[in-house]
Amino acid sequence: MRVTRAADLVGDWPTSPEVVALLEGSGASLAWDVLADAAAPAARVHDPERAAEWLWEVYGDAAEAILGGAAEVEVPDGGDWGVRDACRRVAQLNWAGAWWPASVTAGVPALDPAVLHAERAVAVSTVEHLLDDPDAVERALASVGSFDVPTSDPEVDALAERVAALAEDYGVELRPARAPGRAGFALAAGGVDGGTGVTALSGTSTVDWALVPHGAVDAAAPARWAVVRRQGSTVLEVSVVPGPTPGSRLAARFGFGEVEVALDVDATGWLTGSAPVSAAVLLLPPDRRALTVYAPDFAEPTAPDPDAASRRAAIISYARSRIGSPTATVTERTAR
Amino acid sequence: MSTVRAATLPRGALVARAWAGLGDAVAPLSNDAGRPLTRTVKLILDPLVLRPVLNPEFAAGAIAAEHADALTARIADAGPVLAATASWFAVLKKERRRRWITDGNPQDLYFQRCFELATVHGEPGPDAADVAATVLAEVHEQDGPTVAALRDFVTDPVNAAELTRLLDAAWAARRPAAAGSTATSEFLATCAVAPDRTLFGALVAGLAGSAGAADLDRPGVALAHGLTSRDRPVRPELGRGASKANLPRPFDRSIVERLFAPLTNAFQRAGLADVPTLVRREITRSAGPWQLAEEESRLVVVLGRDASADLAGPPVGGAGSAAARLRSRWKREAYVHRVLRMPSAVPPEVRADVRGVREAYLRRLWVRLHGRELRHETVTFDQVWDVLDGVLRSVILDQRDRLRSALEREAVA
Repeated sequence: MRVTRAADLVGDWPTSPEVVALLEGSGASLAWDVLADAAAPAARVHDPERAAEWLWEVYGDAAEAILGGAAEVEVPDGGDWGVRDACRRVAQLNWAGAWWPASVTAGVPALDPAVLHAERAVAVSTVEHLLDDPDAVERALASVGSFDVPTSDPEVDALAERVAALAEDYGVELRPARAPGRAGFALAAGGVDGGTGVTALSGTSTVDWALVPHGAVDAAAPARWAVVRRQGSTVLEVSVVPGPTPGSRLAARFGFGEVEVALDVDATGWLTGSAPVSAAVLLLPPDRRALTVYAPDFAEPTAPDPDAASRRAAIISYARSRIGSPTATVTERTAR
Repeated sequence: MSTVRAATLPRGALVARAWAGLGDAVAPLSNDAGRPLTRTVKLILDPLVLRPVLNPEFAAGAIAAEHADALTARIADAGPVLAATASWFAVLKKERRRRWITDGNPQDLYFQRCFELATVHGEPGPDAADVAATVLAEVHEQDGPTVAALRDFVTDPVNAAELTRLLDAAWAARRPAAAGSTATSEFLATCAVAPDRTLFGALVAGLAGSAGAADLDRPGVALAHGLTSRDRPVRPELGRGASKANLPRPFDRSIVERLFAPLTNAFQRAGLADVPTLVRREITRSAGPWQLAEEESRLVVVLGRDASADLAGPPVGGAGSAAARLRSRWKREAYVHRVLRMPSAVPPEVRADVRGVREAYLRRLWVRLHGRELRHETVTFDQVWDVLDGVLRSVILDQRDRLRSALEREAVA
């Protein structure tokens, strides 16, 4: 594989944060584009001296030329890539923990956070020697809960055993097992139906992933809105399909800041909200009838990225492909 | 490796190759990838096998090709003792489990003991369990100072009266530090890659660290450094108790609170003085510049203060300087936040930390240096950068952990 190098950058660093599987090594960070399926990652070298200690595990013999400033090098295909693959596993789990697009509507099941934390701690311990954080294993173990074994899955049982041994080796006491955290992640009928009023206008908008915490809303379902006339007043109603871990405070902004609606989980489990609006909303030109869902404690609404829709569709189908894949992590394989 | 002989080889690659040659016998000291654990390198290979202090050609970084074979041979020669070290570690872990000991990190606590055992006894023999029991008793029930002993000592009325008099006297005798040169930029410019021993020595001899504390008693200065919540530092209380959570800022901590954390860590407690000595030294220390005892530590605070001055502001300091490197780490964090989908709008409970990263940095730096003084691990010229960089990393990672747990709490709420 041919890799280019410019300044501190090696290879093509993926542009969108949503596709980045990141590993923070000592003196250099590595990134894989989850949609690209390349064996060798891109790298940013911050401290060549520190990075030199381990970059050969990732680029083999090419590491020396890379650190020496060659503009283009050939990364060999053959070799012992055990450590590089282990780096990829950590990076993949970092990605899954942030961007796994759980969605009832798109058929992407949610990850089990207990499996994710455990598998990540084990993966981190495998590459401990090259990580930026010298206490990475203890830090990763701190968020791991113990498991009630046996589970229904022998792979998860093996993981539980491995993480328990790891905790013992590092003198970390695992948090007591929690009751299964994943609530029934299903979707009842609900959402905007106009209720008793007369729907004057309605539409849908996609939710920008970067504006809400992971798992707060369904990654694929659009947010729906309707302007309803009821008993002489005009009301904007908004509904969003929740993700596997709703709970963050959410709000929706209509138009360019004209209307703010707070969203709450309603009786059917949907995230809904409504706010009185001026009848003038009905006169907004179509391009301003846009709904932006966001978590106020998490991010400020920003202009949408025009490429986001196709990229996210690709990420969703990638995630679906991981569930049965033998090359996926246990965390991805056991999503349900 | 390539057929063309390079002038230098990464030490990591040589160590990995030599380590792989030791096989399964050293598995307890290795990770799943078959590489030596971080602490195997830090606590065993470096100080006990390669010993770069005596053999500078084996120091971390690039190894000259002509020393490569010597390095791998050294590890290969140590094979039997390393294998025995691994066996002893397994024995100690088993005995630890049998005794329900959960205190401390076994690698930190036992690795060097195991190497000693391996050197003296070789592989564990029939009496291994007894030997292991003795070692565990030494490590975990050592007399060293304890929190209970500290509490008993300071709450004894006779002691308390005497110690309070000592505190008063130490603080009454405080003299404003002489203003002197605190020109740190030359040392900071190269300390990350080529630390200058002479410059560091000159700064220590010139009392630059103490001079840098000269204005701390002016209103608001120590407050702006994040070292106190008061307008200016006052004499600390002797104190009676402490809790690990919610410790006040460094200068507002009582004498007991200052000694509390080091005493609760089994690994760190090992090298500490007895309680009365610790307390009296702490009283003297509290009245010194930066409330630290050694000129080297004071200098490192000043170096950290200068290097962290422009984390968020306009860049100061040339490329490659400590300031530029710290700044690059801080900027990188903003990107990592986006990739890990961390909040870009900051929740109120952690807002103060993010805004006050420099204050958090100086606080953490003070605590590190204070701990090193207690353990007599004075910072040397070539350790400065690792301390300055490590403190920022630790502040950043703790901040990440807090943001993440705030998110998780919300998600289950």
